[in-house]
Amino acid sequence: MTTDNRASVTQEWVLLSYRMPREPSTPRIAVWRKLDRLGVARLGDGLVALPADARTREQLEWLADEIVEKGGSAMVWLGRPASVRQERDLAETMAAARTAEYAAMTADAAAAAEEVPSMRAAALRRLRGELRRITRRDYFPPPARDAAEAAVAALASATAPGPGMTSAMSQRTTA
Amino acid sequence: MRWATRSGVHIDRAASAWLIRRHIDPQAQFLFITDPGDVPADANPFDMRGVDLGHHGGDCTFETVLRRYHLDDPVLWKLAVIVHEADLDDERYDAPEARGLDVALRGLSMTCTDDEVLALTGPLFDGLYEYHRRGLLLGREPA
Repeated sequence: MTTDNRASVTQEWVLLSYRMPREPSTPRIAVWRKLDRLGVARLGDGLVALPADARTREQLEWLADEIVEKGGSAMVWLGRPASVRQERDLAETMAAARTAEYAAMTADAAAAAEEVPSMRAAALRRLRGELRRITRRDYFPPPARDAAEAAVAALASATAPGPGMTSAMSQRTTA
Repeated sequence: MRWATRSGVHIDRAASAWLIRRHIDPQAQFLFITDPGDVPADANPFDMRGVDLGHHGGDCTFETVLRRYHLDDPVLWKLAVIVHEADLDDERYDAPEARGLDVALRGLSMTCTDDEVLALTGPLFDGLYEYHRRGLLLGREPA
């Protein structure tokens, strides 16, 4: 989407500033989890940011509405970091958080490859879902992403020995 | 009646527009606007911040419209599960087809105008509805 990659230009970010009552804590925790799931950068107490695009903006807007519905207050802003350095630091922090998630996945996939076939198949399903969730909140893909994708692909080829065998097995279960 | 929603239509707005035209207002006319303040006084807004027909209590707009208009057709609720997951992807439901539908709609939003997206997705939702209607009657995947 970016047509101009000159290092002197910062991109647009969407920010959510919000405040919620301490009690009850359940809605506050629910919002916290949703923000985690979106992979936001936490800039301060009640201030989070994501690189702006149609999807991230919409997600923070709905979340703002939800916060207001639950008795809090929230505003959505569009803005740019004032310096490239600041933006780079932000991107590095977000990439580091994803790197940790990818690394944990790579280790999980390697461990699953040692399991018996039935366990491997279940682990593969779980890890594919997990990989998709992490990729969705990955705005600055780190090198660890390639390793995680490769580990899941390796697990997949170790799990399905050949198309003939899998289709024969599924036919037997449906018959 | 005129119905207003945000421009840059994606899954929830396309599905809700289909639902409105098929089950609520056959004469519905749709307007696409960018600023919520621009909704004309005679238009009914949906899938916008701060309006009644929006996201509430974890529901997407399609689900909210079903509730507000008391549409209890189980086939529509089956579609709601798919639309919910395609729009929110929060794993409240299991809807494997949601991912593909989401990608198809995102692609259309890149190549088509909002009116074209509604024109193209109308028959698509008709088909999805019929598929799940037959599935529900048969109690298994229809051919």
